[in-house]
Amino acid sequence: MLRASAAAEAAGVPSSSLVCEGFLGLAASTSVGLGVPNIPIATVPGHTGVQGKEELRRNILGVTMDEVIRNLTREPKAASEESEPGARDIVAQGGFDEVNRYFYEHELSDGLPIVPPTRERVEQFLRFTDRDADEVISIMLPDSRAATIWSIAVNGVMAGCRPEYMPVLVALVEAMADPYYGVEHSGNTPGGETLIVLNGPIIKELGFNYTQGVMRDGFLPNTSVGRFWRLYLRNVAGFLPHKNDKATFGNTWRVVVAENEDVVKDIGWEPLSADMGFASGENTVTISRFTGGNHISSISGSTPEEMLPYLADAVVRQHSWQIMFTVGQGMGTLRPLILLGPIIARVIAGWGWSKQQLQRYLYDHARIPAHQYERILRDWTAKPTWNLEEEVRLGRIPRVFFESGDPNRMVPLVWDPEDYMIVVTGDPARNSAYVFAHNGVLGYPVTRKISATPQSVRRALREKAGHVAAP
Amino acid sequence: MSDFVNEGHYEALWPRSPRQVQLQPLAQRLDTLEGKTIAQLWDFVFRGDEVYALLEEGLKTRYPNIRWVSYKEFGNTHGGEEREVVASLARRFKELEVDASISGMGA
Repeated sequence: MLRASAAAEAAGVPSSSLVCEGFLGLAASTSVGLGVPNIPIATVPGHTGVQGKEELRRNILGVTMDEVIRNLTREPKAASEESEPGARDIVAQGGFDEVNRYFYEHELSDGLPIVPPTRERVEQFLRFTDRDADEVISIMLPDSRAATIWSIAVNGVMAGCRPEYMPVLVALVEAMADPYYGVEHSGNTPGGETLIVLNGPIIKELGFNYTQGVMRDGFLPNTSVGRFWRLYLRNVAGFLPHKNDKATFGNTWRVVVAENEDVVKDIGWEPLSADMGFASGENTVTISRFTGGNHISSISGSTPEEMLPYLADAVVRQHSWQIMFTVGQGMGTLRPLILLGPIIARVIAGWGWSKQQLQRYLYDHARIPAHQYERILRDWTAKPTWNLEEEVRLGRIPRVFFESGDPNRMVPLVWDPEDYMIVVTGDPARNSAYVFAHNGVLGYPVTRKISATPQSVRRALREKAGHVAAP
Repeated sequence: MSDFVNEGHYEALWPRSPRQVQLQPLAQRLDTLEGKTIAQLWDFVFRGDEVYALLEEGLKTRYPNIRWVSYKEFGNTHGGEEREVVASLARRFKELEVDASISGMGA
């Protein structure tokens, strides 16, 4: 919304932005990253979502309107730039506690102790990439900071990563910068958190957990790379709670989920990386944001037909307002993700089912009645009428959403079967799954290839006869 | 007594990165809203349709000749259409002879 006002100002058209009271802090932070810290704001008292018509009227006519007039007719106060350190500046010196106190007090850490990012440690990380330390991958919104190779190394050190994870970290920031992912939305109120899925031989080479407890902390690569993601969002993209991060409740960062490619290969399926357009066996990271999820315990049966009704029902139950990413704000961008326990995948594949057949089954069976669909959309947006028939007639959504006029007809959660993402992982001996509810266009799935570590470094590591095999 | 256990000595680098945006000048403000054309921009949440109806009603009593261009002319400024909609604003404002804009409803 402020981005629209900034575009108006740039076009020479004065603007006034309407901001609900609880978003004023967010507006103040976002405007700095847009280069318009003095862009005029008109307050909407309280939150419109819980106000009756009379209260809304009083607020808009009694408070907001005067501020709109002022914003459009009076010159705003002049803006000034705050001074900041340079990219390679030392900002804290001293012992471990002193450095950590500085980082915490200056909002540079997540609250846990960080590994002090010294030049020596940063340079160790830089050895694991051919890229120039000053290379700018992207200008990262909302803070409009340069996402550099250098800053990746600094935050990787802080997160407790090992230097050899650097190629993974670089791929992650490249993915973060992809416009389809939409990093600028990472502070939206549902507080969705990114899940990183890792594919390729690098899983074993770097020692990622891909079996039991795959989402549990306790495994250095899974945990520290997950932590890196959140630190980078904080320090370079600029998502700080109470500022650009407006999560109502929020989540902590998720550890990296690695796919069990042994099982995937064994049952004749392709890994997620192949579904995302890469060759099977390539090292990749896939990122997408999920608002939540649930463990689906004890999927029982010895055939797909016995197992899958329970799973399809569980998929439906994880989704409510998120269908506005299917019809509404996102339009076909809902991408639920299912972590499938290996023994379930083995049973399904054992009956000759491909992953595509499983996706088709979920598309056909994870459905809700059309009248319920329209009601959820109405309740979420407070827009009085949602009419799937009209959306189909206007060509805005697929015909499957209006195949008859029966309000009890069952309509899918997604536009296409391929919208379901399936990853085989977790306890190889337990018949459970995990379903993630997706955040649609505000964290759309993006995959990036992980570049190889420079040959010279690989050689050096081999010669060291160390325990680490570089990717 | 300090709570610190100051083991080791570290020189810690700044983990942020310089901002790449310069301060942008704001547009010249209007002398009055009377007779001016105001664009409504909306991200389709938080009852912006009702808020704009109220603003239209209230401002008309003070500026009888104020004119409006509805949010329906521009599309959703948030979500899937955001990039295209925001990129098109300068052109659309010119076509529609817009003098000022109001954008709602979140941040």
